[in-house]
Amino acid sequence: MSRPASLTTRLTLLFVLVSSSVLLGLGWVLHAAVERHFVEMDRDLLQSKLDALERLLKDPSAPAGLVGLQSAVDEMFRSDPELKVWVQISGDGVLSPPDLSLPSGILRQHADSPEPHIFSWWHEDVRYRGLAQSLQPTKPDVGPQVVVVAINIDHHERFMARYNQTLTVFIAVAALLSGFLGWWASRRGIAPLRLIQERAAEVTARHLHHRFPETSVPRELTGLAHELNCMFARLEEAFDRLAAFSSDLAHELRTPVNNVLTQTQVAISRDRDAESYREVLISNVEELDRLSSMISDMLLLAKADDGLNLPSVEPVRLEQEIGALFEFYDALAEEERVRLRVTGQGEISGNRLMLRRAFSNLISNALRHSFPDHDVILRIRERTDWIDVTVENTGEPLQPQESSRLFDRFYRGDPARGRQGSGGVGLGLAITQALIQAHQGRIRVEPAGELTRFIVSLPKRPDGLPPSDRLAQDAS
Amino acid sequence: MKVLIVEDERKAGRYLQQGLSEAGYTVDLVGDGVEGLHRALTGDHDLLILDVMLPGMDGWQILETLRRGGRDMPVLFLTARDQVEDRVRGLELGADDYLIKPFAFSELLARVRTLLRRGRGEPEPTALQVADLELDLLGRRATRAGERIDLTAQEFALLKLFMRRKGEVLPRSLIASQVWDMNFDSDTNVVEVAVRRLRRKIDEPFESKLIRTIRGMGYVMEEEGAR
Repeated sequence: MSRPASLTTRLTLLFVLVSSSVLLGLGWVLHAAVERHFVEMDRDLLQSKLDALERLLKDPSAPAGLVGLQSAVDEMFRSDPELKVWVQISGDGVLSPPDLSLPSGILRQHADSPEPHIFSWWHEDVRYRGLAQSLQPTKPDVGPQVVVVAINIDHHERFMARYNQTLTVFIAVAALLSGFLGWWASRRGIAPLRLIQERAAEVTARHLHHRFPETSVPRELTGLAHELNCMFARLEEAFDRLAAFSSDLAHELRTPVNNVLTQTQVAISRDRDAESYREVLISNVEELDRLSSMISDMLLLAKADDGLNLPSVEPVRLEQEIGALFEFYDALAEEERVRLRVTGQGEISGNRLMLRRAFSNLISNALRHSFPDHDVILRIRERTDWIDVTVENTGEPLQPQESSRLFDRFYRGDPARGRQGSGGVGLGLAITQALIQAHQGRIRVEPAGELTRFIVSLPKRPDGLPPSDRLAQDAS
Repeated sequence: MKVLIVEDERKAGRYLQQGLSEAGYTVDLVGDGVEGLHRALTGDHDLLILDVMLPGMDGWQILETLRRGGRDMPVLFLTARDQVEDRVRGLELGADDYLIKPFAFSELLARVRTLLRRGRGEPEPTALQVADLELDLLGRRATRAGERIDLTAQEFALLKLFMRRKGEVLPRSLIASQVWDMNFDSDTNVVEVAVRRLRRKIDEPFESKLIRTIRGMGYVMEEEGAR
């Protein structure tokens, strides 16, 4: 597809087109009015001559015969040499001026029209206008007569030519002027867009805080500026999150790498016995293990940012999966003197492994933060299109600012609270959230004093709509 | 047992070779795909360890050509691309197992042993024995030095795994996967707790200890003095 013409060009052409067509129309209307006015003038003049001629012809004392009539007409219009007169008397022939001929057929055409008829014609590059009428004979011995009077209207023609010429020049100049006006107006009109363009050119990743002035642009552009500002706000937020994440990541990686490096360098700085080297290597393995699982988790989360696909979907009975997880966590729970309980049941379409991992993290988290001799309770509640699973534990209360950051990557909560899980780098809940979101579900936390409750809402079919916030409210 | 490793990353390849050699295997190491395919077709290896990304010819192509050529030795894939589509593709083409980089060597060793054992088609035993510990798989009974030991279902499954793979270092992730079907990085604390409880029953009351912790690697069951 070719590129559309510039706005300035389009507006300029539009201005030229509109103004010249309006002026042309106006010129045509004026032309027609002047022309009509001339016709009226000529008709009045010719009518008076025709009336005089009629009186002459009807005069009983008028001379009979063409020759007599000729001299009587000459006599009558002596003061009016431009006037041409034709009289056709049936049976007697035609009286006509010597130097001009009528368009053929005019006399015959008007032989029996009692109303006067005006017409015009060209003769040797000169235009004439005539008035024709047939007269009823008043004398019994004379046949019907056709009378034509005509004048030279060349002066009208000259006037009209001048008029047309002036009009053409005027229209051309006016079209040019309005084109220029259109060009100027459109340049002025899109000036605010240029302003937006200049501002946009200043925006870089470092200057995402720039905003367009929404009040100083014309009203038509306020919406655009507003939407652009919203876009920048979203970009800025995402970018900040990414930047924070990158720096957290670097920090998290630095600690174990630093440990390995220092330890190894100290170990090789002098000779030691085999057992000492062994200790160092084992310690290195532990650090590298942590790094390795962190990298796997990071990869999963990075993919989740692109939108995680469910590799395969099958019916998953949640109470069965949770039961299997309970078997896994059974020994640990017993050691911690925590009882695991599950109520309710429900089935959804989802990926078994991903769901298992998501709930595994939640149970692990609940166990980690539970007081001894308390229950960790999972409740499965079936709703119309989705299923809510709540995971509750009683433990140290969450700080109010914690609940919003709980799902942030690398967020670990109060280090003093609860034991540090093995390999816990603060990605568990972020991963759980990603896995739940891959199922188009939601997860949120509701702290209520010592009771911490995670609520997972999963649609029964992942292609269905996610449960709305309003509906999720009555889960509690 | 002969193993062929096709891995283009030299350092990783050399350490794999060393590790597997020390575990008692005869190991050939090749650095590119075309050479790897040639060696696999002409050699008599019992197991193939294939990297997916290889110069010359990638792991999938090698596998496909091998299977078309009628070679059915077990193939273990190493992949840095942990995309599930890749895994599915590998398994469709006839890969027997896969490991996602980075992985623990102990995990690799455990998988290699599983694959080679599967290839041998040994009959499932009905009873297992390590030193004076006996496990009756049919009666689901454990005895040590003639004393009956009561085990929960989980403990039974865990002990069975240890005894069947006597002398092998079992990483925690492998235990979680084999006993509880947790095929992801789960809370490995759980495995530690479960092993601790099992030890309380089968090791603590007795003089010689059978389950040893190999720090940084996992657990191994063997008779004392075996190493």
